[in-house]
Amino acid sequence: MRVILLLTAMLAWPAFGQVDFTGEWAPAYHEDGPERLPGPELGDYMGIPINDAARARADAYDADRISVVTEYECRPHSADYGMRGLGDLRVTREINPATQELIAFHTYMPAWGSVRTIWMDGRQHPPPYIEHTWQGFSTGVWDGNTLVITTTHLKANYFRRNGIDSSDQRTVTEYWTRHRDYFTVVTHVVDPVMLTEPLVRSQNWTLDPGQKTQRMFCEYQPEVPGAPGAVPNHLPGTNPFLHEVADWYGLPYEATRGGAQTIYPEYKLTMPKPDKAPPEKCERFCVCTVLQDCNLHAVPPR
Amino acid sequence: MRIARLSAAALLSAAGILAQPPGAPGGPPRAPQTARAAAPVDFTGYWVSPVMEDWRWRMVTPLKGDFASIPINRAAYDFGMAWDPAKDEAAGLQCKSYGAPAIMRVPGRVHMIWQDDNTLTIEADAGTQTRLLHFNSKAPSGEAPSWQGYSEANWERPVRGEGDPRNDFPPIFSTRTGARGKSLEVVTTHLRAGYLRKNGVPYSENTMMEEFYDYRTAPDGTPWFTVTTVVHDPKYLVVPFITSTDFKKRPDAAGWHPTPCSAR
Repeated sequence: MRVILLLTAMLAWPAFGQVDFTGEWAPAYHEDGPERLPGPELGDYMGIPINDAARARADAYDADRISVVTEYECRPHSADYGMRGLGDLRVTREINPATQELIAFHTYMPAWGSVRTIWMDGRQHPPPYIEHTWQGFSTGVWDGNTLVITTTHLKANYFRRNGIDSSDQRTVTEYWTRHRDYFTVVTHVVDPVMLTEPLVRSQNWTLDPGQKTQRMFCEYQPEVPGAPGAVPNHLPGTNPFLHEVADWYGLPYEATRGGAQTIYPEYKLTMPKPDKAPPEKCERFCVCTVLQDCNLHAVPPR
Repeated sequence: MRIARLSAAALLSAAGILAQPPGAPGGPPRAPQTARAAAPVDFTGYWVSPVMEDWRWRMVTPLKGDFASIPINRAAYDFGMAWDPAKDEAAGLQCKSYGAPAIMRVPGRVHMIWQDDNTLTIEADAGTQTRLLHFNSKAPSGEAPSWQGYSEANWERPVRGEGDPRNDFPPIFSTRTGARGKSLEVVTTHLRAGYLRKNGVPYSENTMMEEFYDYRTAPDGTPWFTVTTVVHDPKYLVVPFITSTDFKKRPDAAGWHPTPCSAR
């Protein structure tokens, strides 16, 4: 009897929090909401430490590309951009039934039906010549209460969906932490092709059990007339849309061009004045925090 | 017999577990540690926040009415549309956007040092603000509201299961993955009403803020930390306002540039 009582006492040990990422999570778009919900403005390269080549590539981007080029129409979000982009998230664990050891975390995001595996069994990354995929090859290790995930073998994708692309040479390190019902994912991207220093952003989620997870289908359809094989683009120096974002939001054009020099606080000391007088008040996506409120023109929140 | 042996083993293991204070598996009872001595990671030093998120809402003062990304209600919208920086300057309220719910998002550097064994200080060069994170302490009664409020801090309690991590025995109880806590948790109250964003998005004097500071080492060896900030304000927010801000360690005070508060 005393043993039973003691075991009962052990089972009733005070409940400590545990690091459990499994479950369904809803994204909080409380940072960069307009970029992540309706989508970024053309010419907005702010806050991204791109190099000159990435900037030139972005300047050549024409938004018709996603309507004309079928390969772009249903282009999935990659492992890193998916965490930044649109939609809910489900995390599950895969347990080896024989050993009860954790084999992997799996994530599912309805956006583009993205399925991802994060191997936790100590396996090595494959050699460089192995195929690159949208979700890449991910392995995780614990650092205290933080899950550190390294992802390689990614296909080229987005840093921002307005022509700022990531390369297939990038390595993504993620840091997952959970505090109470808040889940934070820090994404640290090293891309020697497109960036001059790591791109570090963090995304937040709240526990949202009971989600009725959706399925997403994407059909290739010619949405805009275009010549077969044509890739809409702007030749160097001909893109007429690059100044719009500066003018709409009262910003200096130079600052909208991005680059590492613009992301540090001291840039405020040398930042030029806006090229045009700023509008008196916000006119675009002014209360955009959830998709239903992301109207182009401002209305009070519901 | 097998059950008897297991029960005996469980008894021994349980006796071992129950003899330990929470958070100190395997060790004898110890005298309470100071917060500084108990620190699982070292947050002290100079840190800079590279602005790779919310650039146009942080690096410049946003246009009046640009409330994107903040889950405000109608009352906050109306308040923000009446924003008048000249009026704030005339009233001596230039620091309204430098309060604790906003300061970690203001571009700048922070300097973290121990004021004493149980008080961690965060100095911000933007607005020349100072936050005090009080460990092992509650807000005194009658604490006056202030821009930085009163912050109670603690190191996240180590996570553990019912199992014994020393030998994984008996196997009927589990240890936990990700079980070594190393985060700093802060709850801030007693705030003076201010702005979440420089263009007049309000938070009220009833605001409560939770923060979670997570330290890490980047692949190139550079220390970083991320602070996840959750602002609760039933007066002006429809849901808690959640942001996370990343800071990179600097080797020294280079770039430290204290500036006064500015309303514009």
